[in-house]
Amino acid sequence: MKRLAAVVTLLGLATATAACSGGSTNTSGSGGGGGGGLFTTIDVTRPGLEATAPANPYHPKGNSFVGYNAMRIGWVKNHLTDPNQALPGIAASWEIAPDNSSITLKLQPNAKWSDGKPVTAEDVKMSIGIAYTQGSTAFSITPGAAGAAADVTVVDPQTLKITQDMDNPSPTFARNVLDTNVLPAHVWGSVLPADFWDKLKTARGDGADAEKAREEISALGEKVLAFAPPKDVSAGPFVLERVNPSEALLVKNKNFFNAANVAPAQVKFLNYTGNEQIWNYLTQGKLDQAGFTATPSDVMNRIKQAPGNEIIKGYSPVAVSMAFNQSKKPYDNVHVRRGLAYLIDRDQVTKVASPEGGTPALTTSGIHQKAAQAWIPETVPQLEPYKADVAKAEAEFEKAGLSKKDGKWTLADGSAWKVSMHAPSGFTDWLSAQENIKSQLIAAGVDAEVVTTADYPLYLQELADGKYDVGFWLMALGPAPYDIFQRLYGASNGWTNVGNKVTHNAPGKNGNWMSGPEEIEVGGEKINPGELTAKLNTVGAEEAKPIMAQLAKAANQDLPVIQLWDYVNTQFVNNSRFTGWPKDDELLRGGGKVLMSGVWIQQGLIKAKQ
Amino acid sequence: MSATLIPETGAGTAASAMRRNFWRGVWRVMRRKPSRMAGVVILIGFVLMAVVGPMVLPEHLPSNPDALTRPPSWDHWFGTDPQGRDVLALVIKGSRYVLLTAAVTALITVVVGTAIGLYSGFKRGRWDTVLMRLTDMKLTIPGLPLLLVLATVWQFGSPWQMGLVLGLLGWGGVARAVRSQTLSLRERGFIEAARGLGLSTTHIIGRELLPSMAPYIAMNMLISVTGAVYSQVGLFFLGVLPYESDNWGVMLNLAVFQAGAMITPYALGYLLAPLLAILLLTLGIVLVVDAMDEIFNPRLREE
Repeated sequence: MKRLAAVVTLLGLATATAACSGGSTNTSGSGGGGGGGLFTTIDVTRPGLEATAPANPYHPKGNSFVGYNAMRIGWVKNHLTDPNQALPGIAASWEIAPDNSSITLKLQPNAKWSDGKPVTAEDVKMSIGIAYTQGSTAFSITPGAAGAAADVTVVDPQTLKITQDMDNPSPTFARNVLDTNVLPAHVWGSVLPADFWDKLKTARGDGADAEKAREEISALGEKVLAFAPPKDVSAGPFVLERVNPSEALLVKNKNFFNAANVAPAQVKFLNYTGNEQIWNYLTQGKLDQAGFTATPSDVMNRIKQAPGNEIIKGYSPVAVSMAFNQSKKPYDNVHVRRGLAYLIDRDQVTKVASPEGGTPALTTSGIHQKAAQAWIPETVPQLEPYKADVAKAEAEFEKAGLSKKDGKWTLADGSAWKVSMHAPSGFTDWLSAQENIKSQLIAAGVDAEVVTTADYPLYLQELADGKYDVGFWLMALGPAPYDIFQRLYGASNGWTNVGNKVTHNAPGKNGNWMSGPEEIEVGGEKINPGELTAKLNTVGAEEAKPIMAQLAKAANQDLPVIQLWDYVNTQFVNNSRFTGWPKDDELLRGGGKVLMSGVWIQQGLIKAKQ
Repeated sequence: MSATLIPETGAGTAASAMRRNFWRGVWRVMRRKPSRMAGVVILIGFVLMAVVGPMVLPEHLPSNPDALTRPPSWDHWFGTDPQGRDVLALVIKGSRYVLLTAAVTALITVVVGTAIGLYSGFKRGRWDTVLMRLTDMKLTIPGLPLLLVLATVWQFGSPWQMGLVLGLLGWGGVARAVRSQTLSLRERGFIEAARGLGLSTTHIIGRELLPSMAPYIAMNMLISVTGAVYSQVGLFFLGVLPYESDNWGVMLNLAVFQAGAMITPYALGYLLAPLLAILLLTLGIVLVVDAMDEIFNPRLREE
């Protein structure tokens, strides 16, 4: 479940694309803090502290807590529709060109590393170089990748300009630039070779030289992952003091540009290996803040009873669905999928599986219900809600040619039908949902089973290999419209988008496991949903809306998946020692691996309780 | 004709008289300590639970979404699970897999272990060296890590597969012990006598050696049942084996990691039910082994 929470967080933010907006200028949070005290939390994205791991934000177990002792250029927000909104990080402000072709960053004038050296544009440039070795979205060396940067120019010690390769632009270019870790050049400088930027230029070309350069840059990635700074040098509000297997202690960075407004004097990250340990900390009121952790209702009630505890709920741009492999019978028949949609009571599934972390999907639209209201409010009422209705389900099954014998539904040829649902074994809320769906289906005469796979990577691999009939699938990964719909009409359903060219792969080829038809009839009109989805990557917000409406209708009628519940961002906070917790959806969730509580603290939102 | 019939009849009568005496002895031993009777009753109860239970209960247990993870009550003696199903019914349904696996494991452990031990100890020489080095190697392989690795390639969907693997991993100790017993027995007078009479090796092993070791082997068999239960429940608890909602190990895992049994008392029944089942089964086996010890050990019987 912990792994699922981490996967949901990462997937929701790993990719991004969408309507662009103008630049945003921000000022640091105001108000006095500085009351001191110890702030206790957990890193919800990484179970298990490793005392010997370096303070390296790229190291999988690194003791670099993004938002606390690791900084990014900006802190991207969880906006419903605009992916490029962000809070200031190392950049105090930025300007995005109207055509989205470049972003000009103005760094914090007083930003200093914890060793007293100033943070300069050269640090940011080197950090971008390091991001290239890690295959970041904006700083990608993959030929034809969408939204990749073309040039990084240091204008002056406080200013940088990053231009986008306009051959295949992405509306989330600015977001992906802002969501980059910033590292000190005087510590990390040796990781990149002196000729790195020339090599990068070569890598962007064609031919054997370019290929060789790309390989060399990728090989540097390993060096970056393993790099261990002799001591933590942080530009963030805190700096790592020590780590032992049970906790990591960070102390306030006196040189942080907004240090006066940072309330806690120390931050402690407690170790945990499973959800039950987090529940324990929370019921004891030990944590000042913890991110989303799947929690059963009874445990949630106990957490609420602990003095000072408060639950903050907000928007999470992720939904979970039951996805079909349409190359397997009878799931190739839309009436079977619709019948199942009518048969499954989503309210009950959510109540059993994710009562605190999810809200039942209103219907299958391919998009989170909150985002749907923001993007396509007129289309939502037109969609079929698929309310649980056994009679309608049976009518659909009959249309599909299925027949009911001795109270059990069989395939058209009379053979037995068993809905075989797959999930990774650690994801207890998915398993719980599947177990409930199994009960519901069996009660309605559809035989069903739940099968587990050892872990999530293996699950995704086997799913992509077409080994499963039905599996659970994360979808609606906002905020960018392209990201939302590519989960249904992207590579997993046959469409690949390389160099802005969309091609359709045959079922079972190149990761096409959903195997849906290339064209679907929606409201009497034939559409190619994959091409429409790809279009979302290049159009502005207003142009995206009618396309999104069409795709939502397509998803609703064709049901490549049944949307089950939309995730809710559940945060745990404690008001006994600190106050000022933001309730705004946009601030409750950030970029991949970002610990938003650190961002709130550095913005001066969190105050010590007087 | 009659000459051949008479001794046979006589032998038959003697054998049945011996059997009668044996069962009388068993009954006496059992009666001496009521706890031994309790052990037998527990084991019979578990066998009945595994054989009859799943037949009596519906194939798919009904779930109640309005009674998720409820504490014990008159309707649900051990409460309900996070799906709203009766925990006791889940334990009963899950017993078949656990006990069948344990039985298969015990059988394989004993058959393989005894065969190798007997052969090795009786033959001695080169074969003994080869087989015992093989046994030593097997004993040095840590069981649980090996099972964890095996679980990634083999799904152990059926109790037969699970039992086979656990059995093949568990015969080392039995083989070593049986070999040492054989080495000791083969030097005794009655074996010497049997050899002197020119009886065949099959006769010596089958009729002379094996019966002397039968009690020991039977006790090992019962003890390996508990080992098998712990191993498989442990593997399911760790989540490395396929999910089956009524498996005892899966129940323990879900009780702790999904229902929060360590935090909320509501899920305690869900945690305790499979634990109590394992505890009771172990207790039953220990009590029966205690009885067997006295039944087969003449010195203890005399006291």
